[in-house]
Amino acid sequence: MKLFAYSLVAAMAFAAPALAYDGTNCRAPGNCWEPKPDYPERVEGSQYDPQHDPAELSKQGESLAQMDNRNAWRVWHKQQTGEFQYDVTRIEGYEEGAEPPAAE
Amino acid sequence: MHQTHRKKRHHVSRLALAIALGIGTLNALPASANDRLVELAQDPANWIMTGRDYNAQNFSEMTEINKENVSQLRPAWSFSTGVLHGHEGTPLVVDGKMYVHTPFPNTVFALDLDDPGTILWQNKPQQNPTARTVACCDVVNRGLAYWPGDDEQGPLIFRTQLDGHIAALDAETGETVWVMENSDIRVGSTLTIAPYVIKDMVLVGSSGAELGVRGYVTAYDVKTGEQRWRAFATGPDEELLLAEDFNEPNPHYGQFNLGLETWEGDAWKIGGGTNWGWYAYDPDEDLFYYGSGNPAPWNETMRPGDNKWTMAIWGREAETGLAKFAYQKTPHDEWDYAGVNVMMLSEQTDREGNARKLLTHPDRNGIVYTLDRTNGDLISADKMDDTVNWVTEVQLDTGLPVRDPEFGTRMDHMARDICPSAMGYHNQGHDSYDPERELFFLGINHICMDWEPFMLPYRAGQFFVGATLNMYPGPKGDRQNGLGLGQIKAYNAITGEMAWEHMERFSVWGGTMATAGGLTFYGTLDGFIKARDSDTGDLLWKFKLPSGVIGHPMTYEHDGRQYVAIMYGVGGWPGVGLVFDLNDPTAGLGSVGAFRRLAEFTQMGGGVMVFSIDGEGPYSDPMVGEYIPEGEDA
Repeated sequence: MKLFAYSLVAAMAFAAPALAYDGTNCRAPGNCWEPKPDYPERVEGSQYDPQHDPAELSKQGESLAQMDNRNAWRVWHKQQTGEFQYDVTRIEGYEEGAEPPAAE
Repeated sequence: MHQTHRKKRHHVSRLALAIALGIGTLNALPASANDRLVELAQDPANWIMTGRDYNAQNFSEMTEINKENVSQLRPAWSFSTGVLHGHEGTPLVVDGKMYVHTPFPNTVFALDLDDPGTILWQNKPQQNPTARTVACCDVVNRGLAYWPGDDEQGPLIFRTQLDGHIAALDAETGETVWVMENSDIRVGSTLTIAPYVIKDMVLVGSSGAELGVRGYVTAYDVKTGEQRWRAFATGPDEELLLAEDFNEPNPHYGQFNLGLETWEGDAWKIGGGTNWGWYAYDPDEDLFYYGSGNPAPWNETMRPGDNKWTMAIWGREAETGLAKFAYQKTPHDEWDYAGVNVMMLSEQTDREGNARKLLTHPDRNGIVYTLDRTNGDLISADKMDDTVNWVTEVQLDTGLPVRDPEFGTRMDHMARDICPSAMGYHNQGHDSYDPERELFFLGINHICMDWEPFMLPYRAGQFFVGATLNMYPGPKGDRQNGLGLGQIKAYNAITGEMAWEHMERFSVWGGTMATAGGLTFYGTLDGFIKARDSDTGDLLWKFKLPSGVIGHPMTYEHDGRQYVAIMYGVGGWPGVGLVFDLNDPTAGLGSVGAFRRLAEFTQMGGGVMVFSIDGEGPYSDPMVGEYIPEGEDA
């Protein structure tokens, strides 16, 4: 018991700097993360590597670009005609991915 | 004429009178849309935005309903929305009409306050039902926005839809003026936030951090729907839209390139940080305020770093979208303390005696933050309950939370008894502030949790959570019986003291509203609207509504009479078990276990209930709204 207590104290003393991911040791202003004891500094190549598929990671950006493009056509069409048309395929001159003509 | 009549009969306080006189002089000047909204908000006949006005105080100067007569408060009329599921937010009242929003399919109704039995118009959008499958926490919606119109375009009502659209509707006819795509459900991105009008722009937030959606806020031209700017919560500085002097007054908060540097690799592309809470706006600074949500996934081990700028309080220029300051409350989140909660503005004197323009924000992480809203200075950061344990304190000089490693989360480890839980000690409820008492009335949760993360891949459109949770009442509740999950408190942001506090059976999820009558109103999950004495917290009145409440109360004056309205219809995250008939305590992201008793007190519903003294209202004369055959006199 005594021995156990002693080794526990010793372990804690050794581990003290690593134990303390308490959020106050900053490598730069606004950058204070530290790995927890026994956890990696970088997850890439570790057992916790998320192995994200770049194709999956780019889907959101692609989707936003496409929505923005359709919206641009909707705005353009309303400016041209005064009528709002949501369905871009019914907008005259619409071409998927192309910019609408410059406003007159 | 009608308006003048109303004014005379209304009991105004001296403060309200002073404001009213101020408006009189403003009226002579050409008014911008901002001024028009400010002006409309000052008339107690209106409630024209979430939080009532740009200060987002949910406070009314009206005193007709007060401590002395609140026991006579009775229902005057009600309206069923025709849909079930969670009814969040609050109706808008403007120009003698009430505008009511609903959860999916997000129909909007306009009611005539002289004869609310007649639906003036309804606008029901066609939505892809698949949208429902990517909503993390019920198919709720937090409200509408109003733009007062100009010489070219009449007044507009703005609605967000679960399927990602922002729509502008003609406030008179309900006809759709334009619709734009803001969020794509195919990548798990939905909309539940209420739109917000500043100048001639409408702001739209984002939802979907539980599906790895990178958060962004977008401004659209109210008249055309054209995008003005868009700002993300993570990634390169040019996509964060940072001002040149970003965080200059507080460089230790961090400044440039942190949207990339505080992440490993491209993890920021699916890093969450969505904003689905509330906004506030200071027209003099031209800054609006909001909070970014949690990083994705919930599994902290999969995303080393501070994960900026998730979990941050933002001050952005409305005109350009450029951020003047940001303060990250929860660096490297490990508990899903999505930092999107309400922002309430006030002017108070700090401890050193300086008059300050402030912003007070009760966060999911259990801390109530108060910042100088002109520059982001941290003024106070108090625990809203002494049982908060993930953090020992927030250092006001560094702004850093001192974490207690015992209550952190990590892979291959089941953390226990963490307080608050992922549902936070405070969630989406829109609270209130009484400027005379200098008290914030906070609807608080009292829920703690066990948490164990697990590895999972990211697939666009699928859930990306990666944690199993058990939630239960906090130390002051009854863990044995699963009750005592909420609190309501009156908080002073300068002294950090609670003027009073009371336990509630369930979380006070919907927020609060305060009035100059010395009353604090709020709805409860077990189906009551309650009124407490703002000075003592004593319970003065309550009424049993058809279903639990997750929206905030509102008040307005019509024909010289003060009404209090509230939506009922239980749901949202706490109602997930009841709404979707789930039994596994870890289901519903862990809320099913915490709210296992809820179904003993309420069932689903959906509608608005309107109260007045003695229930007097449009139908006090029973002939109002009666069918009169042609040729007969009324």
